[in-house]
Amino acid sequence: MKNFKMNMRKPIVGVLAASCALGVALPRRAAAVISDDQFNQLKDLVTQQGENMQKQDQRIEQLEKLHEQDQQTHGQDLKKIQDLEQQLGQTQMVATNAAQKAEAAAQVQPVATSSGPPASHNFMMVGDAEVQFGKVDGSHSAFALADFAPIFLFRASDNVLFEAGFDVTLQNEGVPLESGKTGNGDATTSVGVSFAQLDYLWNDYVTVVGGYMLLPLGTYTERGAGWLNKIPDDPMPRGVLSDAGAGMQLRGAVPLGHSGSQLTYSVFGVNGPNSVDGTGHATTLDADGNTIPNLDLNGNIGFNSDGSTGNLHGAPSGGGRLGVFYPWKPHYDLELGVSGQTGTWDNAGKRSWSAAILDAAVHISPYFETKGEYINTWQETDDAGTLHPRGWWVQSGYKLAGLNLDSSLINNLELVGRYDTVNDGLGTKTDRGTAGYVYYFSNTLLFEGDYEFLHGGGQHNTLVFQLSYGF
Amino acid sequence: MRRFFTPRFIAGAGMLMLAAMFYIGSSATAAADDTKPAEKKAEAKTGDSQPQKPKKLTGAELYAINCNRCHPERYPTEFNSTQWKSLLTHMRVRANIPASQARTILKYLQEESGS
Repeated sequence: MKNFKMNMRKPIVGVLAASCALGVALPRRAAAVISDDQFNQLKDLVTQQGENMQKQDQRIEQLEKLHEQDQQTHGQDLKKIQDLEQQLGQTQMVATNAAQKAEAAAQVQPVATSSGPPASHNFMMVGDAEVQFGKVDGSHSAFALADFAPIFLFRASDNVLFEAGFDVTLQNEGVPLESGKTGNGDATTSVGVSFAQLDYLWNDYVTVVGGYMLLPLGTYTERGAGWLNKIPDDPMPRGVLSDAGAGMQLRGAVPLGHSGSQLTYSVFGVNGPNSVDGTGHATTLDADGNTIPNLDLNGNIGFNSDGSTGNLHGAPSGGGRLGVFYPWKPHYDLELGVSGQTGTWDNAGKRSWSAAILDAAVHISPYFETKGEYINTWQETDDAGTLHPRGWWVQSGYKLAGLNLDSSLINNLELVGRYDTVNDGLGTKTDRGTAGYVYYFSNTLLFEGDYEFLHGGGQHNTLVFQLSYGF
Repeated sequence: MRRFFTPRFIAGAGMLMLAAMFYIGSSATAAADDTKPAEKKAEAKTGDSQPQKPKKLTGAELYAINCNRCHPERYPTEFNSTQWKSLLTHMRVRANIPASQARTILKYLQEESGS
């Protein structure tokens, strides 16, 4: 034990001495030294942080106040919603009560049906008007109201339409003079009914038409007259046909496929043409002793000049048109049609009058069109055999907008031309060539002008300007 | 004077009309038939057994086809909806437009009329 203690003493003293030596040898830990600047910076930093904290406190205070306000507003909104819900409930109650009262009242007294027209009725006026300035060779030039042609449309229901067209014209009244000639007096107004018909759309393929109808002989009368005609005058051969007749008609169209092609048909029965003097003679004399044709194409309307009623010759005249329309794309199409009519015309019912017409129309692009009709008629007579009034016409138009020129004047211009010829069957043949233009002020206001070169028939060349308005 | 427009001529013209109708009708059928080989290819590719129906013309297309033939185009905004109905009835009779086409054109005009 004593040796252990002696042996341990030495290491312990050694350690203590080493420690002392180290304590003396090792440099003393340096004391922390900061400069004034650093201290000030630190002080500023602490101050700044203190200010920031102050600001945060203020912000928090503001947010708390806003939150309080929001809570108040929310409370008010909730109250408003409650009030509205209450009012809605009351309104529903009132409505329910009213409905119950109405039901009760209806049970007590039957509700009277409306005596006014149903909402499907509609009345409108369309039509056209033409004002002309013309000069016939050998006569003075003159302004004239060529035509005012209103069309009244009354739609009674989805399937019933009544339509009537009028021609209102002015002309000088004829005044008999002592010399035996006729002078010109005051202007007189004449109003003619061009058609008045009732259309009943029976189904998709059949429309029943009755009244004084435009006749489907060719297409000009139905689709080419008035402002639709780009030349002021009608084609001459149309004068050998009836424009309208009193009777009944079935017409309709059948689509062929989905390309827009269609087959159209019309079948009609009318009183037919009549004899002016009742006989089957080719001509007759008027009160002045002038020879006039004995065939009247547009009369025989059922009410006669002597007050009697009835077809003048007792046998109706019948006819129809079959047409096919083929568009290979919009503005590119072809239409062909064949039509005719046959029946008697003299009072005895022994002499027949027949007509056959071929019509065609082509559109090639929005700019070019051409159309025409080939017309033949046969009139059996007592004294002149069978007369053969006939003729044909062809008309073309080219809109200069097709030239793609940068000029509105040119783009609104269309050049038109027509050739027509007619033989009256009594030995007079007239040919006419017409060259003209149409200027489109708008899609419905047309300014037309043309010069007509006439040959035969005692006619003279004519210059015509026309303002035509479709409405 | 020799008649040009004889009954034989009329009969010939009528037969020509009928031939034109048959041609147009067969063209419509042939147009449908022409799509059949393409349809078969499409069927082979997609395995779809539904044949494609010919595309129906829109109201605007039918309007362009029918309503520019006789007069300049009338703008849809020229008349209101009710007036267009009366006008289309009048034109359906006057121009002999098929009923289905007239209805499609009317719908287009009423929608574009703005009233």
